[in-house]
Amino acid sequence: MPLPPLMRIVLAAVLTAALAACGGGSSSSSSSGDSGGTIKIGVDLPVSGADASIGVPTQNGVVLAVEEANKNGFAGGKFKLEASLLDDAVQGKHDPAAGAQNVKTFIADSAVLAMVGPFNSNVAKSEIPLSNDAGLAQISPSNTNDGLTIGDDAKKLRTAHPDVNTYFRVCTRDAKQGAALAQTAAQRLKFKKVFVIDDNETYGKGLADVFDASFRQLGGTVLGHEHITANQVDFKALLTKVKSLNPDAVFFGGNTSTGGGLIRRQMADVGMGSIAMLGGDGIGDDEFEKQAGDAANGSYMTIAAPDASKLPSAKDFIAAYKARFNGDVGPYSANAYTAAKIEIAAIEKAIKDNGGKMPTRADVLKNIAATTDFESPIGKVGFDAAGDTTSPVLSLDEVKGGKRVVIDVITLKS
Amino acid sequence: MELFLQQLINGLSLGGIYALIALGYTMVYGIIELINFAHGDVYTLGTFFSLAILTLLGVSGVVTGPALIAIVLVTIVGAMILCGLTGVIIERLAYRRLRNAPKLAPLITAIGMSFILENLMLYWKGPSPVPFPDLLPKVQFGVGAVTIQAKQVMVILLAVVLMIVLQNFVQNTRLGKAMRATAQDKDAAQLMGIDINTTIALTFLIGSALAGAAGFVSGVYYGSTWFFNGFAAGLKAFTAAVLGGIGNLAGAMLGGFLIGLIEAMTTQFIGDQWANVLVFSILVLVLIFRPSGLLGEALPNKV
Repeated sequence: MPLPPLMRIVLAAVLTAALAACGGGSSSSSSSGDSGGTIKIGVDLPVSGADASIGVPTQNGVVLAVEEANKNGFAGGKFKLEASLLDDAVQGKHDPAAGAQNVKTFIADSAVLAMVGPFNSNVAKSEIPLSNDAGLAQISPSNTNDGLTIGDDAKKLRTAHPDVNTYFRVCTRDAKQGAALAQTAAQRLKFKKVFVIDDNETYGKGLADVFDASFRQLGGTVLGHEHITANQVDFKALLTKVKSLNPDAVFFGGNTSTGGGLIRRQMADVGMGSIAMLGGDGIGDDEFEKQAGDAANGSYMTIAAPDASKLPSAKDFIAAYKARFNGDVGPYSANAYTAAKIEIAAIEKAIKDNGGKMPTRADVLKNIAATTDFESPIGKVGFDAAGDTTSPVLSLDEVKGGKRVVIDVITLKS
Repeated sequence: MELFLQQLINGLSLGGIYALIALGYTMVYGIIELINFAHGDVYTLGTFFSLAILTLLGVSGVVTGPALIAIVLVTIVGAMILCGLTGVIIERLAYRRLRNAPKLAPLITAIGMSFILENLMLYWKGPSPVPFPDLLPKVQFGVGAVTIQAKQVMVILLAVVLMIVLQNFVQNTRLGKAMRATAQDKDAAQLMGIDINTTIALTFLIGSALAGAAGFVSGVYYGSTWFFNGFAAGLKAFTAAVLGGIGNLAGAMLGGFLIGLIEAMTTQFIGDQWANVLVFSILVLVLIFRPSGLLGEALPNKV
């Protein structure tokens, strides 16, 4: 019995969609010649939409590292190094499904030996199981959620090969960032009562929970802790409630793209313009000042990276970046550049050990995992067994006169 | 108590925007029984048009005095005209040919239309939220401990005024009578000499123009817009229309204000994350126990 016409249309549509979803990874895998050819570094970052203001300068860091490597005779000039740039923002927001799709694309391309990314922790959650399964090393410039490297959450992401770690990061974790923020609030800024809001995402909620607990431990009062919902634009009711509790500050766990900028703007609308806002690296982008407008001043945020402009080791990098991209470095440009440099060094060593032939992903992973005291713009970098950095650093920023300026650099115990 | 009143103002302001969008849903449904899923995006387009007009006028900050009234009028009328025309074009291109097709066809087309509009806006202003000039002076009226902002007065007032004008138009003019007749029985109306194509186009014009007005208001109220806003706002406004009784003008208004109030009160007394849960639970309950909505689809009142 033939299907009715309508059913046929629906079926065709479903099949087309399914095919489109599977066919994303049909990238041409270049010939993996025994000696010579192209080697790629996959880059998965959000480079469109609200995340673009922070994503693009981060991507530029990787591009710069790859261009420099080629100029300086990468692997003795036998191979050409390429950055395969993919975007994990969908409709202007970082998207875990898009990130997973991008990693599948990298895995399917045999020329990709390692990858840099992702930018956001919830995207990392969907990517780590894939990279772990395929044995593809990835270094994130900016993920700070604890559950990516620590505890049971991290184990759940590595079910394919529990004994192998493919995920590394050059920035610190939220347990440290949240604690540092709580210390800043309680001791440096002398806040007694804080209201906590988060965006209910992996990163935002994780950071807010750590801040909440740490601030109480330091003797502060948390007046309340609320979660906002995706695509929410009206925060006036919530902020009216917050205002009635007379907080010294509002803490926001989340990104500019998930409500940070709008909340700051609407705080002024309900008469809380003079109250400080406090947040993590998720609101440390230029987009935050743009969206919050005049209300942005008096906001404090940490960046999970050192202030590159103050580091002697970063001088050459910053000059090269400015010359190449004709703009200022972003908060995570140096981190991304460092992540790419570590991968490039690991690939070069693997080629050398392999007698000048194309190395395997496993060789590259082994070299990355063994990284210690790697000289970089952000200082000496190494990884511990979990993939975390052995030299965690945070910058503390404040928005003054509509611009984000670094007011302190916090070096943490690893 | 004063907190309750403050949230009442917040809820009514939010509800005013929902109500204006809900009117368009309800009018179109009343006349051709189509849930126009592109309507939320027409509203977002209204914020974009308003922003474009304000940019043309060179407005970047607070305006005062008679200039303010002139600018508000020019912008809102401009946005209403442009959105109204968009609505007419959408109806002409996408829905008219499908008028006698199975119900599912125009519905899927409407969803497709929504994607087209969203991507046009994405192309026009990019994927980031776009800041909107703070045009109204930061005047506040204090009633006891409750503060009402000029913005909020504008939202609520405009919604109510437009509603009254619309109600009068539908009840007391020839064109309004033609709309009601078409809504009741298309074939009979045609036999009586009513041009139903024009009447339906007019319905789209008015419904979309109201969405344009809502767009201007929301841009000023939130100080920012984003190409994807129509999705969430459209869903809420649609819920408002169903809650009041789809096809019923007063019902759409009531539903809009109620949804706004439910959201604000849920945030105040339960928690922000429960606002959507409650709104959509109410939608489900209304559909199960009173499918015709709070005010029902009262035929004489039907558009």
